[in-house]
Amino acid sequence: MTKSSVPKSLDELTQGTAFAIEDLIGRAMLGELLQGTSALFGLPIRLFGSAGVLLAEVSATNPRLYGYLSSRPKGQKSVIRVVETVKASDPDDGIAFLQPCPPGLRYAVSAVKYDGRKIGRIVVGPFRASVASDPPPELGAIADELDPGRVQTLWSEIGAADDETIERLTKHLTQVLDLILFSGYRALLASNMHLASVRESFRELQEKNVSLEQAYSRLKDLDRLKSNFLATVSHELRTPLTSIIGYSEMLTAGIAGELTQEQHDFIETIQEKGAQLLELIKGLLDLTKLESGTLILKKGETDIGALLDDVAQTFLPHARRKAVELSADCAPGLPTVWGEPARLRQVFSNLTENAIKFTPNAGRITLKARAVSVEVQIDEEGPAVVMRRLRRTAVEIRISDSGIGIPEREREKVFDAFYQVDSSSTREQGGTGLGLSIVKRLVDAHEGTVSIDTNQPNGTVFVVTLPCRKASLVG
Amino acid sequence: MQLDFTARELTLKLVYYGPALSGKTTNLQALHDVSASDATGRLMTLETRDDRTLFFDLLPLRFQGKNGLSVRIKVFTVPGQVIHASTRRLVLQGADGVAFIADSRASETDPSTESFRDLRENLKQNGLSIKQMPLVIQFNKRDLPGARSEAEIAEQASQGKEPVYLAVATKREGVVDTFMGLLHLTWQTLDLRHELSKKLALESTALFEEVLQKLGQSCTVREVLSRRVGVARVPQMQVKP
Repeated sequence: MTKSSVPKSLDELTQGTAFAIEDLIGRAMLGELLQGTSALFGLPIRLFGSAGVLLAEVSATNPRLYGYLSSRPKGQKSVIRVVETVKASDPDDGIAFLQPCPPGLRYAVSAVKYDGRKIGRIVVGPFRASVASDPPPELGAIADELDPGRVQTLWSEIGAADDETIERLTKHLTQVLDLILFSGYRALLASNMHLASVRESFRELQEKNVSLEQAYSRLKDLDRLKSNFLATVSHELRTPLTSIIGYSEMLTAGIAGELTQEQHDFIETIQEKGAQLLELIKGLLDLTKLESGTLILKKGETDIGALLDDVAQTFLPHARRKAVELSADCAPGLPTVWGEPARLRQVFSNLTENAIKFTPNAGRITLKARAVSVEVQIDEEGPAVVMRRLRRTAVEIRISDSGIGIPEREREKVFDAFYQVDSSSTREQGGTGLGLSIVKRLVDAHEGTVSIDTNQPNGTVFVVTLPCRKASLVG
Repeated sequence: MQLDFTARELTLKLVYYGPALSGKTTNLQALHDVSASDATGRLMTLETRDDRTLFFDLLPLRFQGKNGLSVRIKVFTVPGQVIHASTRRLVLQGADGVAFIADSRASETDPSTESFRDLRENLKQNGLSIKQMPLVIQFNKRDLPGARSEAEIAEQASQGKEPVYLAVATKREGVVDTFMGLLHLTWQTLDLRHELSKKLALESTALFEEVLQKLGQSCTVREVLSRRVGVARVPQMQVKP
């Protein structure tokens, strides 16, 4: 509705100068409005805007009588004078009746106002002042050689109305116009306000986004600081601990002289607890490295089958002590995965140790590996999913135990650092609570996944999927 | 405020602020009803289906001061519901004076306080301080049970400098008082800031008298302004021991 595409402010729209009629109502619609009124009263009507622009009119041409009069030089002057007089008439308020030549014909000019401001005028006419069918004798005299019969015919073509009718007509038209203007203005304000509100809300949201982003980056900085701190502390803790363990070992070896059985027992406890502490510190160090992204993997083609066999062999004595059966079962011809053998060994050792820890006597643990095909999605968001999905070969490793199992709701949380399903189990079963979080991060660093399934009838299956090298892409 | 020297026209913007359902629109309706037809246009309401203000209400008033000066006053309301915060801020932009409409009931104290805090915050966001904004307060709905006592309101009002008025907008009581109080205070503030009376050669008392008359009041300006509550009585009324 507004000429400019930029929404105006509420103040611009409600203060200062008035709007133009044509800004709110289309010219075609104004024409229809005049047409309707004109049809009711049978009179020609014109509507002018504030700058005197003709906005709409009902009879496009002047009456034929004017044409006939204009065909005579004196008559033409008279007609021009009429048009000019009407044009010049611009009452500030109410209605003005004009009686220019030709005699017997009248015009009515009425101001159109909105909120006390003049924004246009309505011109009705020409119309005959009386219903008398005969033209006044003066009409025939305004030009030479006029045919009275023709003047009579053309005169009767012009509509007749008394002043009261004209007043009713202009009042009606002004009121209708005012109503349309009011609702148009109201709609204009509402739509502008709507736009402005949306913009304002958008601005607010943007501001909030900026402050959220700032808070997020501040948190990230803090997180990095925390990781650095942990790394430093772990390192500083390890140095004296190495001395404690070293000197204890020397004592056990009898370097400082023979020990009594009691002294020996004490020192063994010191050694055992020292080793436990060292594991915890190593774990912490690993975790901080993984979290801060400073752990550099030396990846290569890794044979998972051999690795699992090796892990099973290593833990076999440990399992036997608990009377738990432990076996590795790998499908033949497994493809190699792209990873660092030492780190992957850490992953499976951790999971196997965990399984032994939570499996009761006479339980069973199996390490299985097979080749699978997985779907990998490049970029999480965006259109054309079909273009971003790849099928890749991967090796799936399942470490199943017949232990106590992990409730479904806990399965996500067990990968958090220091989280244990039942915190009392840390004391009972030992362990730092770091193992699984390290596993998760190491697997992530290999672009793999780790999840938990339920073993039937009881126990847990840790499922690790490690992708093969990109060169082995299929499909 | 907008001043057009060539057209000798002054436009003021007054905003009726307050919590939801405190009677802001009712105040404007009452003002519209008492105004002479040549002093006001249609009351424009932009409301939702359940008659709650969506964007604002707008009551245009116009007065013909002396010396051919035309004074136009646009009275706006804001939507009270909390969710329309951005709309309130937009309507508040460029306001010359604010009437805060509060519900008198003790149970409505919290929404009122919250809305007042919102007003202060929105003014601040628009770069204005509430201390500089001409402000009057109306305690509406005096006829409802549970309304705080006049003595209590007067006691609190006397501690602040803002004029406080009591009203029953549905019965048109106190509506003109609040409006005149706001117009008077706004005019004084603008006059001090922009020397309006001097620049426009305007006698402000005459303008206020015209406004009162167009609002269908037969009392004097001084009488209307003295209806605020919580001001110390005039000295001659005091009885010396």
